[in-house]
Amino acid sequence: MFDKLISPDSIAVVGASSHPNKIGYVVLENLKNNGYKGRIYPVNPKGGEILGFKVYPSINDVPEEVDLSVITLPAEVTVKIFEDVAKKSKFIIPIAGGFGETGKEGKERERKILEIARKYNARIIGPNTVGIYIPSTGVNTALVVPERSRFPRDGDIAFITQSGALGLLTMDSVSMYNVGFSSFINLGNRIDVNENELLQYFGEDEKSKVVIMYIESFANGREFMRIARNVSKKKPIVVLKAGRTKRGGKAASLHTGALGGSDAVADGAFKQCGVIRAYDEIELVDYARALAYGKPIRGDRIAVVTSAGGVGVVTTDYIESEVRGIGMKMAELSDETKRKIREEVVPFASVENPVDMTAQASDDDYDGVLAALNEDPNVDAILVYALFQTPLISEKLVDIITKWHREGNKPIVVGTIGSEFALNMMRKFEDNKVPVYPSIERSVKALRVLRDRAKLLEYLEGL
Amino acid sequence: MNEYEAKLLLKDYGIKVPKGVLINDLSEIDNLNLNYPLVAKVASEKILHKTDVGGVILNIKNKDELKEKVKELMDKFSSPILVEEMLSGGVEIIVGVTKDPTFGHAIMFGLGGIFTEVFKDVTFRVLPISRLDAELMLNEIKGKKILEGYRGVRVSKEAIIGLLLRVSKFVEDNPDLEGMDLNPVLARENDCVVLDAKIIR
Repeated sequence: MFDKLISPDSIAVVGASSHPNKIGYVVLENLKNNGYKGRIYPVNPKGGEILGFKVYPSINDVPEEVDLSVITLPAEVTVKIFEDVAKKSKFIIPIAGGFGETGKEGKERERKILEIARKYNARIIGPNTVGIYIPSTGVNTALVVPERSRFPRDGDIAFITQSGALGLLTMDSVSMYNVGFSSFINLGNRIDVNENELLQYFGEDEKSKVVIMYIESFANGREFMRIARNVSKKKPIVVLKAGRTKRGGKAASLHTGALGGSDAVADGAFKQCGVIRAYDEIELVDYARALAYGKPIRGDRIAVVTSAGGVGVVTTDYIESEVRGIGMKMAELSDETKRKIREEVVPFASVENPVDMTAQASDDDYDGVLAALNEDPNVDAILVYALFQTPLISEKLVDIITKWHREGNKPIVVGTIGSEFALNMMRKFEDNKVPVYPSIERSVKALRVLRDRAKLLEYLEGL
Repeated sequence: MNEYEAKLLLKDYGIKVPKGVLINDLSEIDNLNLNYPLVAKVASEKILHKTDVGGVILNIKNKDELKEKVKELMDKFSSPILVEEMLSGGVEIIVGVTKDPTFGHAIMFGLGGIFTEVFKDVTFRVLPISRLDAELMLNEIKGKKILEGYRGVRVSKEAIIGLLLRVSKFVEDNPDLEGMDLNPVLARENDCVVLDAKIIR
């Protein structure tokens, strides 16, 4: 459905510019620098050459029908040339603002371009959008200053967002951890392509292991629920839903009407269609990584492995508390596990949960403890802290934990705390697709999300 | 619609309401076949919040008192009066329906009284709901321990689940519904009885 949007064979940039601070230049530059392999057709009445590409005076001069046209012109010009563009394009991204978000005149512009698009069977993303970013195909229509921000690499997360800026900021910030995305699509004013079609598409897209969404208002709530219920059986969906609308109308005089701000109803709706809720941009990507890389946790009993006692104690509080915690349980380790840890692995360790191997812990000790926990029937998941500050721990610990993450029976979440070195190790875990988090709270919340995922799957199967 | 009409509709769906009679004329009181104590309430679709305007009189103990109170209400509101048997015991819960602009009809469940008013301890689901949804709703409110049997007060969770599913069916059959408040509902050891019902179409 959207294959030619994600992976277009040809792209026209209508409004291409030779001025480096114009979007019509940046889009071309992005396509060039991100390794886009398809055919590129800059369009500008002045003709000539930009960035080594031949410029066509008009879209009518472009020698083929293109999969994607990016229009980088102001709204009123966009409307004027829209019919010519629609005739030749499968997908059109009108970048400019000045449409429905500005009032009546802008609404009328939207109506016009939508009518034209329908006539020629072209689909519109936007308008008023930063467009799309597809790392694997090098398609990037977003305007940001390259020296001050980063675009993430290719990965497992499909990202549909109503806010372009929040989307780009989120991707920039998690690029620090090497987090990758399969696709990024900014809906903009959403006059044509909406989140429901895209959710359906990414639900079937094998590259995307998880779909995340930033949504302020749903195009069609019931339709969203229907699609989400199907998609979430196969792959997780995380939604950051913002904007609480006031209840109006006759029913507001009822108790239920007053209590049922649409946020409370949305909360119930998400539970019914298998959606996991995030409350900010950090949770959105943290949860996405847990769900994309980790396994659902099928019980409440967590084993914690640490080399720092205090980390284990605070983690225990977070795991067991209902308030400022996740209301799960610390696993009662089996006698066999305790015996193995004490006699075969680390004689000096605390063999109660949290398993504290102290600052004398070595890489091999971790390996032994994880091996013992992996066999313990009383353990539903493991939270292991990889703390690189002590002398007997090396970078090898990343490989050991990765091995148990990939080959072990138990879902694993990794916490790592520290500065540059820890951050580097975090990147390695991320490269290995191990869910890793830079704080106690974020690690524990990842556990809860994996537990929620298991419950949602049970719920969806039980319907 | 007024409370009496709302309760007639609910009864069609197997939802329990107190035994009651709509009084249009004081003479009808002589032939009442209800067990005291009784409650008298103004039954007018114009008056949504009856208690606020003095439209509810509780704990009426005999026929003379009933006549006096019903007359009082009739004079005050020029409206028929609903007379019902007064029930006690159990736990007060609230069940409601709202029409959400995004998701359409949604059902709400919570504990009644201050749990709803102060703590907003309620949970929603989009309608229709399955049995599993209803079970999860009961399990989701913060005051769920009260439903487990608190200080010797027993509650039938099964009856609450049944009520939620019946309301779901009701809304499916009545898509023009704007909103509904069943508040309070008395959840008791063996059943759930809707003490007050407001339905807006």
